[in-house]
Amino acid sequence: MLFVSLRSMRPCYLVLLVLVGLGVTGCNESNVNSPADVKKAAEGPQRFIFITNGDDPYFDVLNAGLQVGAEKFSLADKSLEVVMEKNNATAQGQIDRLRQLVTQADVAGVAISVIQAENVAIVEEMKRLTEKGVPVITVDGDINQKLFSDGRPYYIGTDNSIAGRLLGTAGRKVLESRGVTEGDFIQFTGFTDNDNARARMNGCREAIGENYSEVDRMADSFDHSRARDNVRTALVNHPDVKALVGIWAYNAPAIAEVVAERGVRDQVSIFTFDAAAQAIEHMANGNIDCMIVQNPFEMGVQTVRLLLAMHDGQDAVLTEMFPEFGQPEGDKFTTGLRLIIPDAWENDEDAPISKKDLESAVSAGTLEVLSLSVFREWLKKYGLSSS
Amino acid sequence: MKLWSPFPLHALRRWWPSQNEWSLLVAIVLAIVLTALVDSNHTYFFRPFESLRDIARNSAMLGIFSLGAAVVIIAGGIDLSSGSMIALSGTVCSVTMLALAPTEMMAFKPVGSAVVFIAVLASLLTGFFVGTLHTWLITVVRLPPFIATLATLVGLRSFARALCESSTAVLTPTKSALINVADPAFKVVRDNVWFSVVTFLVLAFFTWLMLSRTVLGRHLKALGGNEQAARLAGIHTENVKWFAYCFGAMTAALAGLFYIANESVAAPVNQGRGHELNAIAAAVVGGCSLSGGVGTVQGTVLGAFFLRVVIDAVSKIIKTGADVYEGLIVGVVVVLAVTFAQGVNGLRHDRRILPGSLGLCTIPVLALLAGSLASMTTGAASGVAAGFTAFIALVALRIWENRSHDKKAQVSNSQ
Amino acid sequence: MNKQAEVAVAMRGITKQFPGVVALDDVTLQVRRGEVHAICGENGAGKSTLMKILSGVHQPDAGELEIAGQSVQFHSTRDAENAGVAIIHQELELVEELTVAANVFLGREPRTRFGFLNDAIAKRKAQELLGLLDASISPEEMTSGLRVGDQQLVEIAKALSLQASIIVMDEPTSALTDAETERLERTIATLRLQGCTILYISHKMDEVFRLADRITILRDGRHVCTVNKTETTASEVTGWMVGREISEHRFRSQQTVGKCLLEVKDLCVASQDSSQSVQLHNVSFRVHAGEVLGIAGLMGAGRTEVLEAIFGASNSQWQGTISLGGQAVSFAHPSDACKAGLVMVPEDRKRLGIFLNLNVTENISICSLFHAIRNGLLSKKAEEGIVAKPMNQIGIKTPSLTASISELSGGNQQKCIISRWLLTKPHVLLLDDPTRGIDVGAKAELYELIDTLCQSGLAVVLTSSELPELLTLSDRIIVMAEGRVTAEFSRDEANEKKIMTAATLA
Repeated sequence: MLFVSLRSMRPCYLVLLVLVGLGVTGCNESNVNSPADVKKAAEGPQRFIFITNGDDPYFDVLNAGLQVGAEKFSLADKSLEVVMEKNNATAQGQIDRLRQLVTQADVAGVAISVIQAENVAIVEEMKRLTEKGVPVITVDGDINQKLFSDGRPYYIGTDNSIAGRLLGTAGRKVLESRGVTEGDFIQFTGFTDNDNARARMNGCREAIGENYSEVDRMADSFDHSRARDNVRTALVNHPDVKALVGIWAYNAPAIAEVVAERGVRDQVSIFTFDAAAQAIEHMANGNIDCMIVQNPFEMGVQTVRLLLAMHDGQDAVLTEMFPEFGQPEGDKFTTGLRLIIPDAWENDEDAPISKKDLESAVSAGTLEVLSLSVFREWLKKYGLSSS
Repeated sequence: MKLWSPFPLHALRRWWPSQNEWSLLVAIVLAIVLTALVDSNHTYFFRPFESLRDIARNSAMLGIFSLGAAVVIIAGGIDLSSGSMIALSGTVCSVTMLALAPTEMMAFKPVGSAVVFIAVLASLLTGFFVGTLHTWLITVVRLPPFIATLATLVGLRSFARALCESSTAVLTPTKSALINVADPAFKVVRDNVWFSVVTFLVLAFFTWLMLSRTVLGRHLKALGGNEQAARLAGIHTENVKWFAYCFGAMTAALAGLFYIANESVAAPVNQGRGHELNAIAAAVVGGCSLSGGVGTVQGTVLGAFFLRVVIDAVSKIIKTGADVYEGLIVGVVVVLAVTFAQGVNGLRHDRRILPGSLGLCTIPVLALLAGSLASMTTGAASGVAAGFTAFIALVALRIWENRSHDKKAQVSNSQ
Repeated sequence: MNKQAEVAVAMRGITKQFPGVVALDDVTLQVRRGEVHAICGENGAGKSTLMKILSGVHQPDAGELEIAGQSVQFHSTRDAENAGVAIIHQELELVEELTVAANVFLGREPRTRFGFLNDAIAKRKAQELLGLLDASISPEEMTSGLRVGDQQLVEIAKALSLQASIIVMDEPTSALTDAETERLERTIATLRLQGCTILYISHKMDEVFRLADRITILRDGRHVCTVNKTETTASEVTGWMVGREISEHRFRSQQTVGKCLLEVKDLCVASQDSSQSVQLHNVSFRVHAGEVLGIAGLMGAGRTEVLEAIFGASNSQWQGTISLGGQAVSFAHPSDACKAGLVMVPEDRKRLGIFLNLNVTENISICSLFHAIRNGLLSKKAEEGIVAKPMNQIGIKTPSLTASISELSGGNQQKCIISRWLLTKPHVLLLDDPTRGIDVGAKAELYELIDTLCQSGLAVVLTSSELPELLTLSDRIIVMAEGRVTAEFSRDEANEKKIMTAATLA
């Protein structure tokens, strides 16, 4: 019956109908339902969503922290849950995901590790969410604060400049202790225009000093096999390179493997970020000199705490987390950093780095210096294999 | 009652959809209704315009270069390089803007409409160049279209990346793998879905006009239907191919402009990667035949819309981690859609679904597929149950088919 | 009982339907053991379908099949082969990249103890079979290098290797030379002596009457009659096939020859890819208005290459002079030739002529689209108007103007292509084997058409593999062999023997 009546409809009317429908769409841009109505309409638990920048075991650790945080802050009792969405390492992926979240009614809060710090579209979508009353924060990867000062209220994560500087300082100490007072070094990362990568690389370069020159920054777009190829290329193009620096978690094992493959371990020093599971193994085998490790687990826990506080309007928690809010850098909650050194160095006075060396940082609370075995025990305690 | 109109309304009768297109329309409506009901947020009920806006935007962006893919397919060729053309076009546009107004670009300030205009022209011109290159490779160097566009699939993206890095190295303090695009012209396009939708519909209209009501369109169909016969019928096949490939590349270039507006950045590393397959899928689901000569604009438009509705449905129904399953569902849907498009006429009533030993082997494959899908989505127990059920059902189907085949033989024997 | 054993094949009440068409309607056929039984009918009469049912390709919707008195049911060609039925299709089904021996035993390759292929046995047995057929082919030769006639013998050898007692031949001589046809006829005689039963599908009356014992005629899916050869004549059979009498039309009775429209002098083509194309050496001829020039020659003599070179469709460079209406021309592309008034209807309409994705109207209008433009766009009404005239004049039978061209019979498809070109108002018409694969009734109509066109002042150049056709239609005949013109005859001088001699002259 339906088909009969459709057939009798003249085609031009169909076209007009479609055009009218689209027209109404366009006019209805501003006609957004208020958050309160929408919340009433949703069924089931509300969600806190964490959007990563790509897929890496690093984020699994962060997710473990999210889930522990969920238990710790009793999300289930409040009909809330926290889930992680892994992005596909593109900006479009994050934009699409944010757009989807705008239309969904059960979103209680969003945390995102932004993949491109200067991407206007991502910031616009974040703002759109905020306008609807959904709390939005950045975690682990921030937006460019100078350009987008009103993009997000808070950031949780490592202070990547400090982290970079710490790695640079440690690296310098290692090189000096080996008698290498000048030379070239190369840094490896996924994307060079990602905020945390940039901050680390710049910090490292600053802290390592003028005696050493950075000859290249190589990006692999999250492609692990390309990460290895980059190291090979670097060794070929710069046979005299003295140090290789890994910025993202998977760069560390890439560097360690290729260096072992080429048999040049005694000619280069290797210092890296994050403790991927293979990187921990490599350090135990002596293939990595030292690692600056973030605490994604803690990031996860704090993310839940912050989002819950924003959701429920718990101002006391907010003040506690951000005591200097309003001042520059006051909107950042830095999670701790650790410098992991080989067990052999721990009590050796002649080791390149000892706990005394970085006392200032340690006393400021930003750094913990741990030997590898102690670190591994900490991991076991939380059932993690990496950090 | 006759409607007076300067526009030849009776001509629109030719626009009247075929059976395949009606089925697509029904499928779209079904998908939307299904999503509206199954989605626990009932987003389509409570936020119909926002959802439609997003789907419309995505359909328009896909549709623009699906039209190009369809025209190339109808002409008997194939263009695998649309995704890379999108990346290149975005890069060319932003590099041009960067070259003409470097300080403004880096400071995220407007670059002026003249500069934007020139940059857009440069992108479209690049499309023309790429189309010409394709035609030359195919008609003079005699490469099969698959190979020629496969080469540009990888070559153009690499070229775009090189272009991006070398121009940023020269024009900006640091070498970069992407160029941010913050000009208000692009922001306006990004904020208003209108732009892409209207562009798409206007382009679709002119493409329809070209294909069905111009000599060039008829020549395109003839070329796709039988290239040798077309040449012997006096058609300048090289020129027709030139048009087709340029149309394909320039629509991809146009789509590239919308891509960079949407993302506010030209990032040739991954922009549009793999999207040429979506365009080809949209064209084929809409009724284009890969052997050439068959296809309509209406079908392609519906095909693009249908694909985006399905992808949106997946995101709405599987809220978290939807992209893990997206590929699988889109794959299944495309297979079903194309089978339906081809098969309604091709299915003979006496054909068996599980014939011979091939059918026997297919039973465990399908059962395993069903079982593993079910266990991945709902848990091991239900997965085993689903797989088992599928297995039993398929074995029963096979036995039934055998029985009815024997019965038919008996009947004809006794006559 | 004895009488039953004499019947090799009995098909009773066979009915077969395909979507939209009834291919066979209650057909009955009885073939005696050891006879050569001819099956005649126009295209679409159902002969091929009937034979496909016999050989197991299709299953009948109703009816029964008996082989040597025993009721059988074939679910696949394998079943038919096991029952002793082998079919040699019109389109040969050999794998070109394999050797002769491999093709003979394809699917039933002799194996060694360990399961590997036993080439020695295959070669020996193939040699035996080929010897039986008096074929001078080596079993190790590549099939792709064989002439069509030899390929056919390989197919027959394959049938023999199956120990088939019933062999079906579907239009076996359509691609053979006269010599090869004679050899085939001898082969059939040999097979008969061995006790094989042969079903022979053909519409060539001379062959049928030479070879067959009995003739069955099918028309429109129904059995018309079965007669002994001795009790009927060719024209009676043809009459049964088309349902009407075909009169022996006297063609070319009115000849008014005008001035020379096309002159070819010393045309030489040296093609780069030596494998396929023929090289032309100093081909020269003239065609006048109102005249039909026939070009005779064996396959591979270069007839098509000449036409392609003139039309501008050749892939190779040519030298020499081509003059149209007195002016020297050199067409780089068929569209140039068309504009100058010279058009060509190519051979093999399926591959080179029709557009299967377009309908009848669109197939005919493809060369005249510019005349159908109204207000800057193509108008369907104008198109149909343009197409109507030739369709009526030439008499194209189609279910509707927008029917798919694949629904038309071969003859009507060919008429569409001819109309396509006639709409461009040409002066010279080149026809490359226009009646190939067309049934008797349509052929006669085409002959009349060509006659009429000539009378209106066109110059027609016609190639054909059928000598009787050339002799009927042409005013003058030139004969080609291996790229050269070897003879020229006027209508009165020409006869089959002279032409064959000139065609086989090296």
